Amino acid sequence: MVARVLEGLDVWKVYGKTVAVAGVTIGINKGETKVIIGPSGSGKSTLLRCLGLLERPTKGRILFEGTDVYASKLDLSKLRAKIGFVFQDPSLFRHLTALDNVKLGLRRVLGLSEDEARRKALEALRLVRMEEWADHYPAQLSGGQQQRVGIARAIAMDPDIIIFDEPTASLDIELKWEVIEVMRDLAKRGTTMLVATHELHFAREVADEIIFMDHGKIVEVAPPEEFFKRPKTERARRFMARLLGGVTGW
Amino acid sequence: MTPLEQFLFLLKAVPVTLGISLASFALGFAIGIPIALLRIYGGSPLSLLADAYEKLFRSVPVLVVMFFMYFGLGSVIHIFKDPYVTSILSLGLVSAANQSQIFRSAIGSVGKTQMMAAISLGLTKGGAVRYVILPQAFIVAIPGLGSEIALLIKDSSYSFLIGVLELMKHASILRAATRSAVLPYIGSAIIYVALTFPFANYMDKWGSRKRRELGL
Ligand SMILES: Nc1ncnc2c1ncn2[C@@H]1O[C@H](COP(=O)(O)OP(=O)(O)OP(=O)(O)O)[C@@H](O)[C@H]1O
Ligand SMILES: [Mg+2]
Repeated sequence: MVARVLEGLDVWKVYGKTVAVAGVTIGINKGETKVIIGPSGSGKSTLLRCLGLLERPTKGRILFEGTDVYASKLDLSKLRAKIGFVFQDPSLFRHLTALDNVKLGLRRVLGLSEDEARRKALEALRLVRMEEWADHYPAQLSGGQQQRVGIARAIAMDPDIIIFDEPTASLDIELKWEVIEVMRDLAKRGTTMLVATHELHFAREVADEIIFMDHGKIVEVAPPEEFFKRPKTERARRFMARLLGGVTGW
Repeated sequence: MTPLEQFLFLLKAVPVTLGISLASFALGFAIGIPIALLRIYGGSPLSLLADAYEKLFRSVPVLVVMFFMYFGLGSVIHIFKDPYVTSILSLGLVSAANQSQIFRSAIGSVGKTQMMAAISLGLTKGGAVRYVILPQAFIVAIPGLGSEIALLIKDSSYSFLIGVLELMKHASILRAATRSAVLPYIGSAIIYVALTFPFANYMDKWGSRKRRELGL
């Protein structure tokens, strides 16, 4: 039996007059990597924030490992600790070194001892190849390095799923690949991942499924080979054509 | 009295002036942070209350608060008859409103993503504020807090009017004794500059440098 890690059922999010997410149903099973693509403003970030329990949907249900999050009296903080989140914008805590960024959750949320937290944090930093930078502050790191520490901060908590919201979107081309490579490693090790990204190589290589969103809705869901070879919907075709127009070597 | 003796007499008031200023700063800090937090995270009734506090104490002159406490409350409640207590309380309550504003804008500059990142780790809102938001906001606030201390050192001179033996009181005793206003007031001006300058200047420098280093 497949184990559902995270599920959104008919999720809506409305900001004033803007309908950011308009009735999305989505599920991620253990060990899967699903990639969401879609034009700017299509509601990817909003959907991911709802699934990451960072924002409450206007309507609809979020299920974490089978339990309806908002119907139950579960402690949201405890659940969030099991869902890693990697942001598009720089999100490292700027007053803390890379090591302390990773340690914070281990110490203050999981309650590990100083030694244990340090050991785990260094191990996570090693996984993203940032161990030598442990004592550096975010401002002393490149954008790509910061994102890798952000990934380490998420994986150190041993989450059941990690959500990535366009982690490479604000990086220069030459810094993107080092982040992508780390994410590819994670996917290959069987990490459960939900990723919004326009990195098509990554999507094609590791995604079990591509989810195409537009105007707050899921327009198309397909395995990567199918999706990239021949999107079924006109909207996805147009979006891909525009995306590929700007990408060389595809 | 030689000019040196006169100056030394003024200097004797420094511990009181500094003591009152720093004590009221500490009081303002202790009240200002919760007020800022209530205004930002408090939810509507508490936030409105904090807002009202800020607006009130930012609009009323310190002297009005001080006289009200000393002459008004002092006639009813014994503790307000103590000019030292009353000075520290009134300066501190007014400073709390200023410091709340300093912290609010500092917290605002820390940004929403930091809060969200902290929450996503499983920290509670309180934990996020404590471990992520406030430590950064504090660094951003340092220059503003430096000016606030300087302001309190200057405003502590009001407490002369309710009988605190601080620098202005010493200056006026000296003026009466020497029948000259030159040394008492030039001397106290020099002392005020010497007291305020390190706070205003070094806290500004240190804070600005730290901000640059951390990219805050
Ligand atoms: N906090 C918010 N308040 C108001 N409107 C919002 C908020 N967040 C998102 N929106 C709006 O919701 C819509 C979807 O935005 P969202 O950021 O989810 O899209 P996106 O697919 O992530 O876009 P991008 O690729 O640019 O990141 C947009 O119209 C946006 O302006
Ligand atoms: Mg987005």
